[in-house]
Amino acid sequence: MALPPLVLFITVLVGSQSLFIAGSFHRDLGLGRTSGAWELANYIRVLTDGLYLDCLLTTVRVSAVATLGTLLIAFPVAYVIARMRSRWAMLLLAGIVASTFVTIVVKAFGLMIIFAGNGLLNRALIGLGLTAEPVQLLGTETGVVVGLMQFTLGFAVLLLYSLIQTIPRSFEEAAQAHGASRLRVFRRILLPLALPGLTVGGLMIFNMSMGAFTSAALLGAGRVLTLPVLIQQTIMMQVKYSMAATLAVVLLVTVLLINALSLLLMRRMRTGRRMIA
Amino acid sequence: MRRLAIRLEAPAGRVFAWTVMALAFLFLYAPMMVIAGASLNGSAHGAIVFPPSELTLARYAAIPASQYRAIWISLELAMIAALVSVLIGVPAALGLVRGTLPGKAVVAAIFRAPLQIPAVVLGITFLQLSYAVGDALNLDLAGSFTALAIGHCVIATPYVIGTVTAILQRFDSRLEEAALSLGASPWRVFRRVTVPVIMPGLYAGALYAFMVSFSDVPVSIFLASPDASPYPVEIFSGLEQDFDPSILASATLVIVFCFALMLVVQRVVGLETLLRTGGSGRR
Repeated sequence: MALPPLVLFITVLVGSQSLFIAGSFHRDLGLGRTSGAWELANYIRVLTDGLYLDCLLTTVRVSAVATLGTLLIAFPVAYVIARMRSRWAMLLLAGIVASTFVTIVVKAFGLMIIFAGNGLLNRALIGLGLTAEPVQLLGTETGVVVGLMQFTLGFAVLLLYSLIQTIPRSFEEAAQAHGASRLRVFRRILLPLALPGLTVGGLMIFNMSMGAFTSAALLGAGRVLTLPVLIQQTIMMQVKYSMAATLAVVLLVTVLLINALSLLLMRRMRTGRRMIA
Repeated sequence: MRRLAIRLEAPAGRVFAWTVMALAFLFLYAPMMVIAGASLNGSAHGAIVFPPSELTLARYAAIPASQYRAIWISLELAMIAALVSVLIGVPAALGLVRGTLPGKAVVAAIFRAPLQIPAVVLGITFLQLSYAVGDALNLDLAGSFTALAIGHCVIATPYVIGTVTAILQRFDSRLEEAALSLGASPWRVFRRVTVPVIMPGLYAGALYAFMVSFSDVPVSIFLASPDASPYPVEIFSGLEQDFDPSILASATLVIVFCFALMLVVQRVVGLETLLRTGGSGRR
């Protein structure tokens, strides 16, 4: 039964992807045309040109910081909802999930208004005496990080909610009944049990951030370039298909490498701990 | 001593947790509230003011026809994406969970691929494919509504597969065996047992598919043309180039529509199904 949809998917997806990746091994000749010869010129250029390397590093940096920030907010929120015994739990969760249904363009636009020179944020900061000059967040890495968090937070809460639900409440209650403090319960019970799921969830959030286009483009305001934004500009403004394809391959490979490395590291950590115990 | 420590700590932990909760809601909803608030303020071409100083609907009256057209195109695309992804996704999920095909893992991976590949990359590749296929078949495919619709169907289908698979995996297949052994034909079993069971997953998946299509920028931005430009792309280019304050008003309408749609679907399938199946592969 899965055959006809599979055929459609293969033509559209695999076909388009292989066409695209093959293109990265040709040279751009301008006006969207590419050379016939197979070469590695684009890859050499990306991996040696400071501009492209900077962009790659920026992408990894803002994605990592945004992932960390998202997890730090999402975990307590998901925990409170998962452990709540009233009807309110579902309503709160629905409120969080509902916010993810609104397109990120609209939400990024809202953030741009809040971040403006005379916007809410600056008026609050100046009113509280925290700063004398308006803080510039649009077009900075901090602004992009906030935009990415706006994009990922709702999904992260939903993800961590189902993770925490798999950890029996009784473990924590038992530890607490024996006098463990909340902090100790968190460190010795909750965190170790949640760590594998947290790592996988964190990687999903990281992957989302690495590929995020809309929020990065709008809040970066052309001054912060992440790879997805650069890829779009390479096509729309420079019409260099091969170069864009090369950047896309670099983005995909970087994401894959970081994922593989983290999972490997986590496995080693766990076997290490088992050996000590 | 110890009892005192617990008593002091418990409220502190609770206060911390609720503070984070309030901040999370503020963070998620502030951008939308600012847009809705600013949309009610001032003349159609004035500056953005929040909180609004005088309430008028001038900006709503000034929404140009082009924005309504873009919203309509987005609605059409989202309905096509929801419909097609159900038609493709339900048999695919059935095949993936029940089928005995060798290489099921590979097939599942291909279906999930649109979730893993950065959306910008998908957008460019769809554009290239539309050029290639258009050239081969002598059609004007690039920049057409058809190309947009096909692209949206591909990015939306994994969500239906995800929700229906999630339901099928927890489905007790003995229900079907019982019906079969009581003499029902396979088709009758499918219609009277299987379909009712997967229905909530189908609705939830269709909602996700609709929303993914309705909110997409990175894929559509490559496939859109002045003739067919979905609403999110229209706002995106409005924000990057010439800003029109009536965007505030139309964006508020879209926000209200999204919440209303979720409320309706929630009524039909129940909140639990929506939330339980939602974690299965959204991005």
